[in-house]
Amino acid sequence: MASATASSVSFTSLSSSLKKNQVSHLKKVSVSFGGKSFKPVPLRFRVACAAKPETVEKVCEIVRKQLALPADSAITGESKFASLGADSLDTVEIVMGLEEEFEISVEEESAQSITTVQEAADMIEKLKE
Amino acid sequence: MRGSYLRMKLHCLDRKFFHSSPSLAPIQLPSPMETHLWYVIPSEVKSKALLNQFLDILSPCEKENVFQMRGEEPRKRALLARALVRTTIARYQINSQVSPRSLRFRKNIHGKPELEWQFSDHWLSPPLHFNISHTSSLVACGVTVNSQIGIDVEEKNRTIKHNILSFARRYFSKDEVQFLADILDPEIQRQEFVKLWTLKEAYVKALGKGFSGAPFKTFTIRYNGGGGVNPLENLNCEAQEIVVDTSDEPIELTNNWQFELLELAGSHYAAICMENNFSSEGKRTVPVKLTVWKTIPFLEEECVSGTDAVKTISGSK
Repeated sequence: MASATASSVSFTSLSSSLKKNQVSHLKKVSVSFGGKSFKPVPLRFRVACAAKPETVEKVCEIVRKQLALPADSAITGESKFASLGADSLDTVEIVMGLEEEFEISVEEESAQSITTVQEAADMIEKLKE
Repeated sequence: MRGSYLRMKLHCLDRKFFHSSPSLAPIQLPSPMETHLWYVIPSEVKSKALLNQFLDILSPCEKENVFQMRGEEPRKRALLARALVRTTIARYQINSQVSPRSLRFRKNIHGKPELEWQFSDHWLSPPLHFNISHTSSLVACGVTVNSQIGIDVEEKNRTIKHNILSFARRYFSKDEVQFLADILDPEIQRQEFVKLWTLKEAYVKALGKGFSGAPFKTFTIRYNGGGGVNPLENLNCEAQEIVVDTSDEPIELTNNWQFELLELAGSHYAAICMENNFSSEGKRTVPVKLTVWKTIPFLEEECVSGTDAVKTISGSK
């Protein structure tokens, strides 16, 4: 688990306050330590737990539709867009489809790093919170 | 495409395929400001023995990528793309021990694939640049010397799921949206959209900075007809020059990139973007010589420049 650089505070005590399966982007936590209260430096770390299954499912559906894949084709979180047959135009359309479905806005930097269904779902959850 | 196909009788094929590395006829390097374009039609490559020969020259990593593709056709295309690059580049190495299998590739800092030159092999050769693009029915590789290159191919009848103007508003520049919006015929609008997409992709790939290095909204690609003529009236006019304007760079710097737009094999639009290192003062573009071959690696090739397989739509003359 991560710890703030300015102190030896660990976040294990805070884990119980986090909802299960929520992306842990701890932004507004202030910690009181030795009488002083300070905001920890912003931390970015990938959480091991997955995005909500419903999100992953919706992403699969959008990908399936964009690539015109049969309803029974296996698409999971690990599925890579490129392996499913998506070219760059398809990928951009998938991102646009995700923006519409989830009412989010994806910047080019983020769009470029999405290569799998899971990465797309994780990004959506991060943007929605 | 499993190893068992190697046991197939090869009676129909040239005996040279029994050798572990089939011979490749050498070819002359492109000169500066010359582009070579090679393409393969996957549906014409049927021999499983030949496909195994292709598999044999790939790196372990490339093989893994090929088998990660879902379905036989996508796997074949991925295989052909790598085989085309390796065999083509190996053919330009006239005076060295380079074989298709021995070539090493790496990615630049932004992820663009490039050749990794081994000092002992060919330090005398000028730096070759290449770029690949493929659709479900065509695999293409562009090659230049001393010049960054990006290519993109799309099927002429490609459609998108979204409304074209919605898509353009989301991803293209304002001027490009206006250009498309001014086209009333939906079919012509769709064609122009596909052409514009290939040009924008080719530019970004030539820059080698990835999608986020040059977000599509930050640059405009347009046709530059002479004398203030309405570009729409001159669609498909060969005299049209294709230029790129970026919003954050002064116009002078964008003279470096030249474009060619072709209709390829009757079925595809192909856009080629290359760096212009030779523009003399006062002249914006230098004529680019383009030579196009249709090929099946190890097997055959046909120079198709000047035939119906290659029709220049716009670009430098």
